[in-house]
Amino acid sequence: MTVEVSSLKELVEQASGDDRSPDTQEYFVNMGPQHPSTHGVLRLVLKLDGERVLRCIPVLGYIHRSIEKISEHMNYMNCVHLTDRMDYLSSIMNNWAVSKAVEEAAGIEVNSRIQYIRTIFAELERIQSHQLWWGVLGMDLGAFTPFLYGIRDREVLNDVMEETVGARLTMNYVLPGGLMADIHPNFVHRVKEFIKYFRPKLDEYDDLLTNNVIIQERLRNVGILSPQTAVQYGATGPVLRGSGVAFDLRKDHPYGVYDQADFEVPVGTIGDSWDRYWVRVEEMRQSLNIVEQLLDNIPPGDFLVKKLNSKIKIPEGRYYSQLETARGVLGVFIASDKKDEPYRLHYRSPNFNNLWCLEPMIKGDYIASLIGAMSSLDLVIPDIDR
Amino acid sequence: MGIVTDKLPGALEKVPGGNVLVTRFDEIINWARASSLWPLTFGTSCCAIEMLMATGGPRHDLARFGAEVARPSPRQADLLILAGTIVKRMAPRLRTLYEQMAEPRYVIATGACTISGGPFIYHSYTTVRGADEIIPVDVYVPGCPPRPEQLFHGLLTLQKMIKEGETIREPGVRRKPVISALPEGITLEDIQGEMKELLVKENVVDVQHAVDKLKWPSGLNEQSSGKSGANESGAGDGT
Repeated sequence: MTVEVSSLKELVEQASGDDRSPDTQEYFVNMGPQHPSTHGVLRLVLKLDGERVLRCIPVLGYIHRSIEKISEHMNYMNCVHLTDRMDYLSSIMNNWAVSKAVEEAAGIEVNSRIQYIRTIFAELERIQSHQLWWGVLGMDLGAFTPFLYGIRDREVLNDVMEETVGARLTMNYVLPGGLMADIHPNFVHRVKEFIKYFRPKLDEYDDLLTNNVIIQERLRNVGILSPQTAVQYGATGPVLRGSGVAFDLRKDHPYGVYDQADFEVPVGTIGDSWDRYWVRVEEMRQSLNIVEQLLDNIPPGDFLVKKLNSKIKIPEGRYYSQLETARGVLGVFIASDKKDEPYRLHYRSPNFNNLWCLEPMIKGDYIASLIGAMSSLDLVIPDIDR
Repeated sequence: MGIVTDKLPGALEKVPGGNVLVTRFDEIINWARASSLWPLTFGTSCCAIEMLMATGGPRHDLARFGAEVARPSPRQADLLILAGTIVKRMAPRLRTLYEQMAEPRYVIATGACTISGGPFIYHSYTTVRGADEIIPVDVYVPGCPPRPEQLFHGLLTLQKMIKEGETIREPGVRRKPVISALPEGITLEDIQGEMKELLVKENVVDVQHAVDKLKWPSGLNEQSSGKSGANESGAGDGT
C-alpha cells in the first residue's frame, strides 16, 4: 500500500479552497494583565505571525493610582510618602528625588552626614533591587533556584536596613531636610558584615547563572537595542548603559556624596539582553565598593537640619530635579504657586521610557525571547502607571 | 471499625460488639482543604514583593503552611491573595479572575489598599476603596505592606475558618470575614515561636476534638447507650 505525500501547500489548498494561502496568518494575543512574567499588571498586545512577534503594544493603566493628582492636595512632606509606592524596589531613591527637588527649590541646605547616609542607603537599596531582579530573571527563564538565592541574600540586607528604617519595603526614610531617624548604632558594623558576606555570593551568582550555557543562549543576541534607539526613546539606567552609552547621573552630575567615592560605570557593548544583565550584576559590585568607601567616613552631625515642618513653602516657579534610581533617571517636576502644596507635581519615571524600548528590541523575534528581553528591562509597573 | 450509614453523612457508626471509630468527613475534608491552599499569583503592586516573593523565599517559606504552589492560572488556584491596589480599570479583570477560580475559593486581602484604599483613599479618581466592593473577602491582613509573618497569621486565620466553617450538610456557608491583625507589642520571636507550635498542632487531625464537637442526634445516643442492632428507623438525623 502506498501513501501519497503531497506538499503542505497542496494540502492547504485542498482543505480551504483558493482564497486561503499556505502562509501563516497574523493574529493578536493579549499578554496580561494577569501574567506571571509581566511583573505586575502590564498588558501587552502582541501581533504574531506564528511565533514571531510583529508588533508589541503595551497597554497601560491597570495600576494607575493617580499619585500625581493626589499630591496636589498634599503638602511637600506628605508627597514623599506616596513615592515609595511608585517604584517600591528603590523607595529610598524615590524619597530622595522628591526631597532633593524640594530642598533645591526651597533653598534648604543639608549637612554632609545626611548626604552620606542617603548615599549609603541608596546604594544598599540598589543592591537589594538588583538582587530581586536577578532572582526573578532566573525564574522568568524557567529556573527557580536563582530566585531562592536572590531572596536569601536580599533578606540579609533587608534586616540590616530594617534595623535603622523600621520597614521592610516602603521605607519612608528620606524627608525634605533630612532623614526620618538617625542610623542605628549597629548599622556600620552590620553593613560591613554584609559586604563581607555578599562579595563571595556574587561569585556564586556567576557560577549559577552568569556562566550558565542556557542563560547565555537565551540572553545573548536577543533583544538588541541600538544606542541610537535607546537615546531616542529616552531609555536610562542599566538599559541605556547596556547599549553602550556611559550615562550615569551619579558620575556625570554627582549629587549626594558620589563625587567622593571612586567607582566605575559598567557599560555594555551591543545592547542585547546579556549586556543589560551583565551591567546590573556589575553594578552590584560597584555599589558594594561605594558603600565600603563611604561607610567609615560618615561625619558627625544632626540627621535633620531643622525641626520637621509640614509648611515648607516654595517660591513661585518651576523646578526640576533628577537622580539615578536602580532603573534609571527619576525626574521630579514641581510647579509651585507659593503655597505649601504643589500646583503640579510630575514624575519622569525611568520605567515608562524603558518600557517602550521593548518593541524595537523584540520586533521579528520569537515570543519566548520576549520574556527574557522584558525581564532584562527590569520593569516595575506601578512606576509606569503611577 | 465502624460502618458507614446513609442517614448521617460522613458519620461512622458503632458495630455491635466492636470498637468504635467515630469521626466526620467534614473534619478531614476541611483539614485537607486548609492544608493545601493553592494561591493565585495575583500581585498588582508593592505588596506583591512581600506577599508573593519574600514569602516564597527560603527565609519565610510559605511551603511550611502547604500554600506554596502558586499558580498563574485562576482555574488551578483556590486562594486569591490580593496583593496591591485595585484600580477601576483592573476591577472587572479581578472579578473575572475570581469567578474563574474553582469552588471552594478563598480570598485574603493584604495591605491597606485592598482593605480601604489605603494611602490612595482621598482625592484619587481611580482607586477602588477596598477590594470587598468587587469580590467577597474572607480575611483582611492590614499593613502597608504587611510583613510576611503577618500574612502567615492571616493564612492561619483562614485555615482556622476553613476548618470550622463549611460542612458537607451546609456547603457554601462561611464564617464572617475577620481582620487578622497582630496584637500590639508582639515581637518577631513571639510570632515565630507561636507559629512553630501551631505548625505542629495544626497539622494533626484531632479526632477526639471532632468527636467532642459532633452533636449526636438523640436516636444515636440511645443506640450507643445500650440498644442493640442497626438503627432502622432513621430517626434523628439533622443536628
